[in-house]
Amino acid sequence: MAIEKFTYDNKLAKSFAVVTILWGVVGFLVGLIAALAILWPSVSMEMPFLTFGRVRPLHTNAAIFAFVGNAIFTGVYYSLPRLLKTPIYSKILGWLHFWGWQLIIVLAAVSLLAGITTGKEYAELEWPIDILIAAVWVIFGWNMIATILNRRTRHIYVAIWFYLATFVTVAVLHIVNSFELPVSLFKSYPLYAGVQDALVQWWYGHNAVAFFLTTPILGLMYYFVPKAANRPIYSYKLSIIHFWALIFIYIWAGPHHLLYSSTPDWAQALGVVFSIALIAPSWGGMINGLLTLRGAWDKVRQDPVLKMFVVGVTAYGMSTFEGPLLSLKSVNAISHFTDWTIAHVHIGTLGWNGMLTFGMLYWLFPRFYKVKLYSTSLANTHFWLATLGMLFFAIPLYFAGFTQALMWKQFTPEGYLKYTNFLETYTQIRTMHLLRAFGGVMYLTGAVLMVINLIKTAQAGKFARYEEDQAASRESGNHGAETFHRRLERKPVTFTILALVAILIGGIVEFLPMFLIKSNIPTIASVKPYTPLELEGRDIYIREGCYNCHSQMIRPFRSEVERYGEYSKAGENVYDHPFQWGSRRTGPDLAREGVKGKMYKPDSWHYEHFVNPQKTNIQSIMPPYPWLASNDIDVDKIPAKLRAMKKLGVPYSDAEIENAVSALQKQAQGIAEGLRQSGIEVEDQREIIALIAYMQRLGTDIGKASASGMTSK
Amino acid sequence: MTTDEISKNKDQEQYEIDTLTNDRLIKDHEYDGIKELDNDLPPWWKWLFYISIAFGIIYLVRLWVFQSEDLYQVQEYQKDMEEAASIVTKPAADFEIKVLDDPASLANGKDTYDKICQVCHLIDGGGLVGPNFTDNYWIHGNTMEDMYQIVTDGVIEKGMIPYKDQLSPTQRLEVLSYIIKDLHGTTPANPKAPQGEELEWPY
Repeated sequence: MAIEKFTYDNKLAKSFAVVTILWGVVGFLVGLIAALAILWPSVSMEMPFLTFGRVRPLHTNAAIFAFVGNAIFTGVYYSLPRLLKTPIYSKILGWLHFWGWQLIIVLAAVSLLAGITTGKEYAELEWPIDILIAAVWVIFGWNMIATILNRRTRHIYVAIWFYLATFVTVAVLHIVNSFELPVSLFKSYPLYAGVQDALVQWWYGHNAVAFFLTTPILGLMYYFVPKAANRPIYSYKLSIIHFWALIFIYIWAGPHHLLYSSTPDWAQALGVVFSIALIAPSWGGMINGLLTLRGAWDKVRQDPVLKMFVVGVTAYGMSTFEGPLLSLKSVNAISHFTDWTIAHVHIGTLGWNGMLTFGMLYWLFPRFYKVKLYSTSLANTHFWLATLGMLFFAIPLYFAGFTQALMWKQFTPEGYLKYTNFLETYTQIRTMHLLRAFGGVMYLTGAVLMVINLIKTAQAGKFARYEEDQAASRESGNHGAETFHRRLERKPVTFTILALVAILIGGIVEFLPMFLIKSNIPTIASVKPYTPLELEGRDIYIREGCYNCHSQMIRPFRSEVERYGEYSKAGENVYDHPFQWGSRRTGPDLAREGVKGKMYKPDSWHYEHFVNPQKTNIQSIMPPYPWLASNDIDVDKIPAKLRAMKKLGVPYSDAEIENAVSALQKQAQGIAEGLRQSGIEVEDQREIIALIAYMQRLGTDIGKASASGMTSK
Repeated sequence: MTTDEISKNKDQEQYEIDTLTNDRLIKDHEYDGIKELDNDLPPWWKWLFYISIAFGIIYLVRLWVFQSEDLYQVQEYQKDMEEAASIVTKPAADFEIKVLDDPASLANGKDTYDKICQVCHLIDGGGLVGPNFTDNYWIHGNTMEDMYQIVTDGVIEKGMIPYKDQLSPTQRLEVLSYIIKDLHGTTPANPKAPQGEELEWPY
């Protein structure tokens, strides 16, 4: 057994750590701007890129993919070589990964603020960036797997199981959810529509939480917690069971985001049962993390790193218990579309992801610079600011979510909605949003203290780029009796393939019936494609990120039918590429906005309201959109948009595509003429006309069916 | 030596013990200094897992085999609506369309106006998308009976939606009383130009 010497290069891990901190602060700051933009619509200063609809996707993308993403890569590039006793396979691939990922982040920030978006939550980036993400992700995986194949250790450790599962699953999720047909460099339509798009999107969205915010962080936990505590992992058996159970079960749970929507009952039920089954596998990770600290609790009291890990892992346990509870239909009927969801995800990100990352950074920097941490008390202050900030953030939102849901559902004894005006239910929780912003400020302040502390630490020491290590070379052949899983740990490629199979099953079982069996989405004969003007209006709706505050999904509840009109049917969204059901009702649902019933407002009201929402209600928190009344519709792209839709299966005739521009102009002229009669000076070709056309179309198609009795099943 | 002691000795040969917890470490499991203990799955954890899986099986059997009503949302909805229809109290039989001038009714009326009507008629009644309530020009008449009918059934082609499903008869009277008693005749900040015909004010 020859002992070999080799060298680790810390520069890549350190660079990822630096950008983790940078994007973390940016992500928190953008979150704070979003929180303030909800409180005061004037925060947007009538500038498109400061409206909540554009800032919120930037916040979520920055927090998930820039902050947590770079934190994952920091941990992987530091731990992987050490766990395998070999340097990273290729420095070139490593740096391509690093710069490629930072380029994606910058492109994301610019394009999202510019309103370039697919309109699918957490997958908003347009197709050229999607391709770049896929390429960079493959580079990451290639480098990781090649490093694993170069290893000197015989077996791969549990942290690496999680890294591998992360790599394959995120690749599958990203590719399947990003099938889209480009119309131009900055615009595409997704392959799927309506219920199918919703199912794919939330399979993706839920598993982005699972395989971007959970499994890689569990990998980091399995390395950094035992290292920092200098304690053995509590149970190897538990590692095996909870790893496989977690990745197999997680993938099924996506439909719990679609409870009481027009998704078929069987798909919703799968979302419920697999979410409940997730409690134990998730808690397996928490137990293995916390019980690894047995015998080291005295250290936990003094060491800010371990304190952060304990709060992080505990937050993981809390949110993985809460998540399944929210997946029960009776709970979801209250929590969905409210701030409860926002509170829940922030326990996950601020607690689990944030604390694990901060702890890791406080542990790594002294090792990078071969010096003690500049200030333990400053780190302790950060710990308290982050912990209390998280609570100040989440508790008011739980209260707000519960309050608003109950107000939405309350009836008077005579059978009328108690709070007829939607805005009333928001005004009631505004104070809670103020407190939430305060919690955010605390959390951000803590992060700024970390920046100071880590800079001071770096200045006190000298960056130790290279670290020597030694290990015996890897021997092949059999070494006596091994369990099946132990053998598997020697076969990383087989391991990866098995993980891939485990994560494919759930998706396939849910998707195939939805795409192949027609009865899952009963057709409604009177549902027709959008006119060119309405389609253009819909694209503006997506560009402005209206879905960030307005849902388009009336659930089959008495209170929602009473407020908004007939509950939404699956067949209504068959031409919606992408679907726009939304996930939070900061403003009212718009699924039946055009129906001349409960929600209807005339064109002139929409015009006044878009230009200055506070004119129609001083308490309104919607930002003004005056540019819609001065920007012109880009008519040149209209035929290409219709052609793309036709390719995706929307039945536009050749004549309709050929006459699209004149049809658009004619419809626009009619609306503008009506507005001018009401005394509003507006020109036909303005964007606001298209958006009004879309508003007035929303939800109206099935009314035409019941009027003429033409519904077909 | 008893058999127990023999097996104990054997164990000690095979396993290293973690001194802080007295748990067994697994041989040859060491990665960058991280060792692993040979602890079993906690029994409560196993039971949690079994029970959660049993929950899922029962849930799916109820859905697919027994087709339980509460798992099908449209049936659940219909049941809810039937229940609601049976508990809703009907408006009093002696209901009369008249102007209410007690302060409580006017305050309720203002409350409703400020939440709902102002969206189109503005907070001071000056009119925006909907007509001005402060002047003497009326499109659909100016008596309580005329106005009650408009609020109840709407004038949808002009954008006024029916409020019969959103406001109770009493609320409709209250809000109209507020318009008649308190808003009419005031001077709004930006009054909308007169619409309809000038009518003599009956109140």
